[in-house]
Amino acid sequence: MKQCIDVHGPLVWGIVRRRVKDHFAAEDLVQEIFTEVWKSSGRHDPAIASEGGFISMIARRRAIDWLRRQQRLPEMESLPEKSEIPAEASVPGLGMDRDTLWAALQRLPDETRRLFVLHFEKGMTHAEIAELTGQPLGSVKTRLRRGLIEARALLQRDSGGGMNLNPDSLS
Amino acid sequence: MLSRFEELDAGRVLGDLDAEESAEWSELAQQLGVSGDASLDLLAAEFEAALSRETAPAMPLGLAERLCPVVEMPAKAAVVPEDSKVVVGPWIGWAAAACLLGLLVFRGGDTEKPTLSADSRRDALLRQEAGLKGIPFAGTTGDFAKAGGEVVWSDGKQEGYMTLSGIPANDPGQYQYQLWIVDPDRDALPVDGGVFDIPAGEGKVVIPIDSKLAVRKPAAFVITREKPGGVVKSAQEVVVAIAKL
Repeated sequence: MKQCIDVHGPLVWGIVRRRVKDHFAAEDLVQEIFTEVWKSSGRHDPAIASEGGFISMIARRRAIDWLRRQQRLPEMESLPEKSEIPAEASVPGLGMDRDTLWAALQRLPDETRRLFVLHFEKGMTHAEIAELTGQPLGSVKTRLRRGLIEARALLQRDSGGGMNLNPDSLS
Repeated sequence: MLSRFEELDAGRVLGDLDAEESAEWSELAQQLGVSGDASLDLLAAEFEAALSRETAPAMPLGLAERLCPVVEMPAKAAVVPEDSKVVVGPWIGWAAAACLLGLLVFRGGDTEKPTLSADSRRDALLRQEAGLKGIPFAGTTGDFAKAGGEVVWSDGKQEGYMTLSGIPANDPGQYQYQLWIVDPDRDALPVDGGVFDIPAGEGKVVIPIDSKLAVRKPAAFVITREKPGGVVKSAQEVVVAIAKL
């Protein structure tokens, strides 16, 4: 576990800190996330998700839920427990290795790719991206949403509906 | 209707649904008899893991130890390939249980904050890296003419602290202070070093630096006054203090 925290701790800390400005709240959230990683570890299937992707998904969901609570937005319905991690058969072609992921990113329109980097790498909120790029907030939201859907379609298309997962090269 | 749900579901994954869209998502999910698509969650997570890992900030000093203070991994159970990747395997359950037990004991209740104070962490950093030297802050003008203190920063640990004095206390609801790290080798734009407050009635305050991106060779540290929550790019309308190497 110590090695797991050593390897993935900075990833989780980064995901949380990009969304949670309060230092102490962020530390508490990281503790909650690793608790959930422990509870959910039995559901991790390396054929479906890389280890980093699996932990990142838990961290993102927790951080986004925390933000929604802070903003007093209604809680989103939780995904069904058993389908939290998509089953290979039910979600054909989601697995990907790093090269495949980067290839999909490169095939997105330039502007969408730029927004992906600002959002996923630099952790900017949509409002911050809108401020930085001068684009209307609505355009940023739409481009990111459609970009994500498009990226999934590209990955699924490339795999012929049954993408070969290679999680070792992703984490 | 399905494509609208798909777009809203991507919004759910990206965390950008407002109250109206959340309600619409719930309504459409009910009408269509579907729920959120975990494949979008996972794709976003894989993107974030892949894109942000190299620039992920180091965890605060001591946090990893507090998460898992005493776990020793059995050699046979921990599968650590040569490239240092860690496999979340069967060991993780009991190991995490031991870890969390330690965590609960350490925390000693929900209200206690076991975190070391910023000045203790600063002192620990200085002990660990004897070569680190404080870079003095110089105040600017007006209310900030008397601003002073110093900053220490470790490139290796991506960790640093400001010890500040003479900066007026702020009302976080009106404005906050924000640190910018100038690193010309990295980018023309300064890196956000975190938003912070100066409490009233304290002569000297130690503030941990919260760099959002990896800083390789800082040339200067600049404190500005910004709107609550800070900004992505500072217009530097109110510069409080500067520390130059």
